[in-house]
Amino acid sequence: MSSSNLRTAAVMLAVVGLLGACGGQGGAAGAAPSSDQPVYGGTLTYLEHQPPTCLYLPAAGFYPNGGILNQITDKLTWQNPQTLEIEPWIATKWEVNKDATEYTFHLRQGVTFSDGSPLDAAAVAANFDVYGLGNTELKLPVAEFVNNYERSEVVDPLTVKFHFKKPSPGFLQGTSVIGAGLVSKKTISLPYEQQCQLKNIVGSGPFTLKNQIVDKEVDLAARKDYDWAPPSSKHQGRAYLDEIKIIVTPEDNVRVGALTSGQADFVRYVQAYDEKTVKDAGFQIYAEPTRGVNNGLYLRPSNSILKDLDVRKALQAGTDVKEVVDTLFTASYPRATSVLSHLAQGYVDLSKDLAYDPVKAGELLDKAGWTKGADGVREKDGVKLRLGVFVAGPQPLSKQTLELVGQQWAKLGVQLEIRPADAGTQAVDIKDAEKTAVAHSMVGRADQDVIKSHFHSQNRDVILSKDKKLDTLLEEESAEPDNAERNAKVAEIQRYVIDQGYAIPLFEEPQVYGGAPYVKGVAFEAVARPWFYSAWKTQQ
Amino acid sequence: MTRYLLTRAGQAVLVLWAAFTASYVLLQLLPGDSILIKFQNPELGLSPQQIADIRAYYSGGSPIGEYLRTLSGFLTGGFGYSIDTGTPVVERLGEALPETARLASAAFALAVLLAVVIAFVASYSRTSWLRGALLSVPSLFISVPAFWLGILLIQVFSFRLRLVPVIGGGELQQLVLPVVTLAVPISAPIAQVLARGIDQVYAQPFVPVIAAKGATRWWILWRHVARNAVLPTLTVAGLTFGELIAGSVVTETVFGRNGIGRLTEQAVTAQDTPVMLAVVVLAAAVFVLVNLVVDVLFPVLDPRLKAAS
Repeated sequence: MSSSNLRTAAVMLAVVGLLGACGGQGGAAGAAPSSDQPVYGGTLTYLEHQPPTCLYLPAAGFYPNGGILNQITDKLTWQNPQTLEIEPWIATKWEVNKDATEYTFHLRQGVTFSDGSPLDAAAVAANFDVYGLGNTELKLPVAEFVNNYERSEVVDPLTVKFHFKKPSPGFLQGTSVIGAGLVSKKTISLPYEQQCQLKNIVGSGPFTLKNQIVDKEVDLAARKDYDWAPPSSKHQGRAYLDEIKIIVTPEDNVRVGALTSGQADFVRYVQAYDEKTVKDAGFQIYAEPTRGVNNGLYLRPSNSILKDLDVRKALQAGTDVKEVVDTLFTASYPRATSVLSHLAQGYVDLSKDLAYDPVKAGELLDKAGWTKGADGVREKDGVKLRLGVFVAGPQPLSKQTLELVGQQWAKLGVQLEIRPADAGTQAVDIKDAEKTAVAHSMVGRADQDVIKSHFHSQNRDVILSKDKKLDTLLEEESAEPDNAERNAKVAEIQRYVIDQGYAIPLFEEPQVYGGAPYVKGVAFEAVARPWFYSAWKTQQ
Repeated sequence: MTRYLLTRAGQAVLVLWAAFTASYVLLQLLPGDSILIKFQNPELGLSPQQIADIRAYYSGGSPIGEYLRTLSGFLTGGFGYSIDTGTPVVERLGEALPETARLASAAFALAVLLAVVIAFVASYSRTSWLRGALLSVPSLFISVPAFWLGILLIQVFSFRLRLVPVIGGGELQQLVLPVVTLAVPISAPIAQVLARGIDQVYAQPFVPVIAAKGATRWWILWRHVARNAVLPTLTVAGLTFGELIAGSVVTETVFGRNGIGRLTEQAVTAQDTPVMLAVVVLAAAVFVLVNLVVDVLFPVLDPRLKAAS
């Protein structure tokens, strides 16, 4: 059962559903909050779109995982989502040497994991040794957010020092990301399969696991003795809520209906076409930016057709991004003006270079020797201009987006072959530039390194790059200790990627949540995972 | 009778082995594997070499050796570990099975009830339009896609009328809508076969004889016609078991219930071979068992068959 079938059904329902329209209107929406004074107690029912997978911390980027781990773990540092500044949390202060190869963190006293063991220098060192180096014996992979890690050094029980082989300016921000959540020494020494299971994850966060029904429900309970929120948080001490019930509800319209009918308080993944329903019922839409590499189509130069720069530039000029955003999405999805989100560090506005120009696109294709055949598809030396792309499961309305782009490209004489996302075939073919010439993807992270994660041939390698120059630029960015210099490098990379026609940025992908009007104080980390520490309900 | 049972049991084992082997081979033929799907997650930053190492760690050597190892595991009740979640498959089945058993048995009971009501009222009624209307209900029911019905029921009864919650609520409340969703399409073939069976029996010469003896219409229907019409219905009811499993995949996904159906859907998405194999074999086992029970019931319900055997 594909969810698109279900969606079609939902449209049909819009008509039939009127039958029941007499049954009462958004009653839950009527209760206005009486005051802004937070109230302790209550249970928040939070509907997730997908079940969590492996909860090994570096895999926390997957939103269902992050939604849980963000509540049960703390990080060394806190990235202020507004300023993107790194602020103290478990580390009260830190020193970084000039070339960013040595980081010393001073830890807060009296912090404990929920099993009672201390969160001290030894525990922090054990965590980052695994995140930085991996552990072959325990099958623990290296974390994406740590580069050039060499070793840790426990200076004293509350001081830990990290050494790097090469400058690692991204590391400070890396200590604040969701995947850098700190777990007890016992947890971090478990083999991979064990660390995947939520019941084995012991953190120091404001909530602890109370109950889990695998793939269905996770109940978290507030930790009464929690007293180490980031110092910049107005709220200190235990969480306001007593409990959070995270319930997996895969069906889009069941999540939205449950929210607006008062059966749930907060939901993740409200589709663009459901935003109006939620707002009209008096509920709130939270469209949180992910501050990274934009949702877009990434053109692979290793493909035999796309190796020609003119073809890539033609597709870039011949894609009407405005039409895509206006037709399928809402104001929550700002149109992209570069490879990076305008909220990303080092962003430059390249909207001039990304203007829609179908005439130029046609000329470029003519110039490259692709001429229209009888069926309207361009050909060269008997080869059709046909490019394959996979529907990207995690990206919102990926299929519809690709279909619309496919129509635009068809006018240019380019055939886009859209394949449904069957996990097995995709896992194999996505690494084959001949079969998958175009990748539809994005990646969120609030650090300059995000662009390296996306493009470097040793990281996600979305365009299956063989471009040495691009790799070198990305490495230089990643190893540049000076922030201004680093931003300049990021700007240079964005220009290079656009000039080379490697990317057709579409929009700045948000995470869209819906919340009841009586739910207050929900915060989000810099890449839009919810943080319920300061959340409270005006009615229980 | 004993020999009959032994033959049937032998056939059942053969069917199970065939189901296991066929699905094993098919799953091996699929492109990609669960390890690739799981570990290619770029968040983990694994190189192809590391993924190959992990695969080697899971693999059992040669293809035949792997097959025999898995088969012997199944024979001794060890279904292996889910690659997706790392938990024993037995544990996952153990959690999912009771949920689906409750849902499926309640849905089956409701389906039979619906079918009997439709067929009986249609047969008993003298109003031809009512009869026509009732007999067209099964065709309608079987054409209703389960996911559509499920969403419709949720929209109307939970979100609009607020009669039953879909999130939270007691086990009984949580069962109502999924049971209806699953029962409706399954009731259709049962009702159809029962109604046709009743018609056929009515056409037999013994019916006017009983009527001439003064039996009431209800007595004839209940005591003579229905009893004779029930045999083909029983066969169909046994076969609808397959529909129950197929329907539960959709129903459980729509209602977010944690049963075998949803487990199957997730296992397929993640290409979690051990879980898929276990589900297929389990479904085949129950299917075989249900049909065995049906076969055994036949002679009990129809003395003529007992005499023949």
